[in-house]
Amino acid sequence: MRRTGLSFLLLVAAFAVAAPLGWWTVPLVGALWGVLRPAFPRPILAAALAALAGWVVWLVIGFIVASDALVRIAARAAAIMQLPSPLFLLITLLFPALLGWSSAALACGLANLLAPRRHR
Amino acid sequence: MPSSPPTFRPSDLPTFRLVLAAIVLGLLCYFGARGVGVVPPLGPFLDPANGVWALARNAELPERSRAQIPGLSAPAEVLYDDRGVPHIFAATEEDAWRAEGYVVARDRLFQLELQSRAASGTLSELLGERALEVDRTDRRRGFPWAAERGMAALDSSSLIARAARAYAEGVNAWIDRLTPGALPLEYRLLNARPARWRPIDTFYLYLQMALTLAWDDPTATKLQARSMVGAAATEALFPLNSPIQEPIQPNGAGAPRYDFVRPFPPPGRPDSAALVAVRERESLDLALGWTPGRPGDGDAIGSNNWVVAPGRTAAGAALLAGDPHLELSLPSVWYEVHLHVDGALDVAGVTFPGAPGVIIGFNRDVGWSFTNTGADVRDHYEEQVDDVAQPTRYRLDGGWQPLEIRVETVRGRDGSILAVDTVRFTRRGPLVQQGNRWLSLRWTAFESKGPGEDFLRLDRARNVAEWLDGWKDYVAAAQNGVVADRSGTIAIRSTGKYPLRPGDHRGDELRDGSTSSSDWAGFLPVEAYPFARDPAQGFLASANQQPVDPQANSNYFGANWYSPWRALRINQLLRADSTVTPDAMRRFQGDVRSARAAAFVPLLLAAARRDTALAPPAARLAEWDLSYTVENRGAALFDATMSALAPLVWDELILPERLADTSARPTVVPEEAILLELAADSLSVWWDDRRTALVEGRDAILAEALRRGYARALREYGPPDGDGWRWDRVHQANVYHLLRIPALSALEVPVQGGPSTLTPSPGRGTHGPSWRMVVELGSEVRGWAVYPGGQSGNPASSRYLDRLPGWVAGQLDTVLFPARPGDLPAGRVRSRLTLTGVDR
Repeated sequence: MRRTGLSFLLLVAAFAVAAPLGWWTVPLVGALWGVLRPAFPRPILAAALAALAGWVVWLVIGFIVASDALVRIAARAAAIMQLPSPLFLLITLLFPALLGWSSAALACGLANLLAPRRHR
Repeated sequence: MPSSPPTFRPSDLPTFRLVLAAIVLGLLCYFGARGVGVVPPLGPFLDPANGVWALARNAELPERSRAQIPGLSAPAEVLYDDRGVPHIFAATEEDAWRAEGYVVARDRLFQLELQSRAASGTLSELLGERALEVDRTDRRRGFPWAAERGMAALDSSSLIARAARAYAEGVNAWIDRLTPGALPLEYRLLNARPARWRPIDTFYLYLQMALTLAWDDPTATKLQARSMVGAAATEALFPLNSPIQEPIQPNGAGAPRYDFVRPFPPPGRPDSAALVAVRERESLDLALGWTPGRPGDGDAIGSNNWVVAPGRTAAGAALLAGDPHLELSLPSVWYEVHLHVDGALDVAGVTFPGAPGVIIGFNRDVGWSFTNTGADVRDHYEEQVDDVAQPTRYRLDGGWQPLEIRVETVRGRDGSILAVDTVRFTRRGPLVQQGNRWLSLRWTAFESKGPGEDFLRLDRARNVAEWLDGWKDYVAAAQNGVVADRSGTIAIRSTGKYPLRPGDHRGDELRDGSTSSSDWAGFLPVEAYPFARDPAQGFLASANQQPVDPQANSNYFGANWYSPWRALRINQLLRADSTVTPDAMRRFQGDVRSARAAAFVPLLLAAARRDTALAPPAARLAEWDLSYTVENRGAALFDATMSALAPLVWDELILPERLADTSARPTVVPEEAILLELAADSLSVWWDDRRTALVEGRDAILAEALRRGYARALREYGPPDGDGWRWDRVHQANVYHLLRIPALSALEVPVQGGPSTLTPSPGRGTHGPSWRMVVELGSEVRGWAVYPGGQSGNPASSRYLDRLPGWVAGQLDTVLFPARPGDLPAGRVRSRLTLTGVDR
């Protein structure tokens, strides 16, 4: 259990550390996770949650550094996209989660298709 | 039995899940990388480390920071005060301008680029095809041609050349160290990167400002009127001189003079030649992007400034007020800054982002501000060309002159070619085809050698004489500059190049381009400019009215002047107060009593007296205090009435084919000062509404206007005693973001003031006081100021909109003006930036 938790934290850290390089690191890390096919309960879901958590880390840092400014920019960015602020935040979180899930699922599936005998 | 960790099985991933994952991933990557419509690429936009969220981490200035600027000769210290104003302490003027470029770019990078591109015809490279026509117009108008010519002719050691270069180094130093997280929001929305700043971009900025302020070209207005009511009537309706004389250069009368002596000639026969010309002028205006008529609404683009001599102030020190009225925007058109160089420069005030130095402000000895003169400095010439379809030469004095030909290529965001236009120039300026004719334009703004240099000299002035001398060669757009110094001297001068035309010297007619005898013979000498210094009345004021009484100076400066309502009011206030205080100056700036209403309400009440049906609106108007306060319920009725009045009186100026349309408005509308003059003749044929069987006089038309205004007010605002009639419900200010994005704008802001009040808020509320400043020139210079918006262009910043509440309330902030870094109170220092040169 501890090992699973550690793995998950490592995955979160990977997503968070890679984030400054660009949003495209989310599918990259997710795919890598999927290809590795670690022994993990519900690994695809874990990829989604970890990607989400990796971005949350940055949002939390932003909130700690400049909470007022974060609230202001959330409100304005949401208004630009004609969305309520909470929905904008939700989209910000869903975006990496779906990227993480889909990339991990696809990579994992393809890896399984390409090397099916390994598991038989 | 110990459980073993689950492992992947192919059956966990049935095909449909694989396909679903592929589709979801594909869609997310597509929308992540590419924008759709107004939605930017979601990936970089939502990215919490460097995307829009990162703007929050960069919203506020760090307590301490360091940066390098190439070329900086010695370290410069920048202290930001609690109003977000950078106080720049540098070793040389060039260093100060470098630092200025850096701090402006830090706060306003997108604005810098947008403004420059808007003038250089390269907006499409940033905004895409939607800006194509703007770019083509810029290039037809000759802006790149003029800017490049100006740069080529510039002495590289001149003040403006050095300043523009240094400023560019500062801007580019910021761009070079720009982190992804600090990229302004607008670039993210446009999926673009900032372009490097060039010295020529400063020239583009000045050309753009000259265009904004070059509203007054009476030629088109008068041609339009002539085509409908003939030449004699046009001269009466759009005269050279204002019928109300309260000039900028005092005429010694001590009161406004009403020259209501002319009988108005009746409407004449339409002038067919003018009709042809007006159509050509309209298409010329369209081709060159001139706004037909005046931009904004009424005198939306205008300004106030005034100065009071020590003998009429409570403290015995000269007082100066400046209040340019421009388009309100977020971020503001202005950026506040303080530049200090020991022994050379110590100036505080505002500048346009992109312009080195300070444009309006004060130094240790002198304070100054500007209003627009509204001079007529554009002329059009009909040219003869060798080939109507593809001309290469134009005729001049019996011979042929080669046209200067430029091929202008407009590119899109990806560098692809959107349009290729051939633009031609005579020695006068850009040439534009109208049907089978070719018209050229001459405009003083094209003749400026080193625009902006004058403002840099003003920053250094030590007294009024030096200040006046510093901009005696200033070209365009002509400005009424007021100035005061610590010795108590006050002055005003309407400065700019005023062309000397041949013949009648007037610039409101189309001229023959085939002869050099049509050319300008030079410019008025500075001694002939409207000017006053230390007048007996003890104050000077300008509010875009006719600058000089024609009885004192008959030179042609323009025509069809703004109605002088604001000038009347400020002169009234200044005459009544011989112990003016800085706070009184502030109150005058925010004054909401309408001289326009004071002129027309008595006439409306007199006209309504005999009509009992008009008793309710008349009573409403009678109890109105003629002030545009937020809570008053009279201004809405008055405005609706005045709006109804113009088409009733000037029905002769409604296009014949639109006469049956009751909502039709006159094509051109004489100034309301002319309407007031007409009111002196109650039986003039102009009062008759030709659309009715009756022959109306003045009172009948005024009464009808009141009836219609009241009906409209009831219809649109509800019962008169309800809140719907409150001025703040009827009218608000709208401060739009530069890209007109509502979410980044401050819209429907309740404000005091209305059309032509000293604090004006006409029309759609998009224009108004853009920088209110009061300066006291005592033993120590003190300044107070505010503008709508804030110093930062970052919408996440607390400095994006922090000044708006004070601006709405008519308050002014104290401008800090430390002589040394240590003089800035520690409690008011918000951030320190140390700038150094690049180590080599």
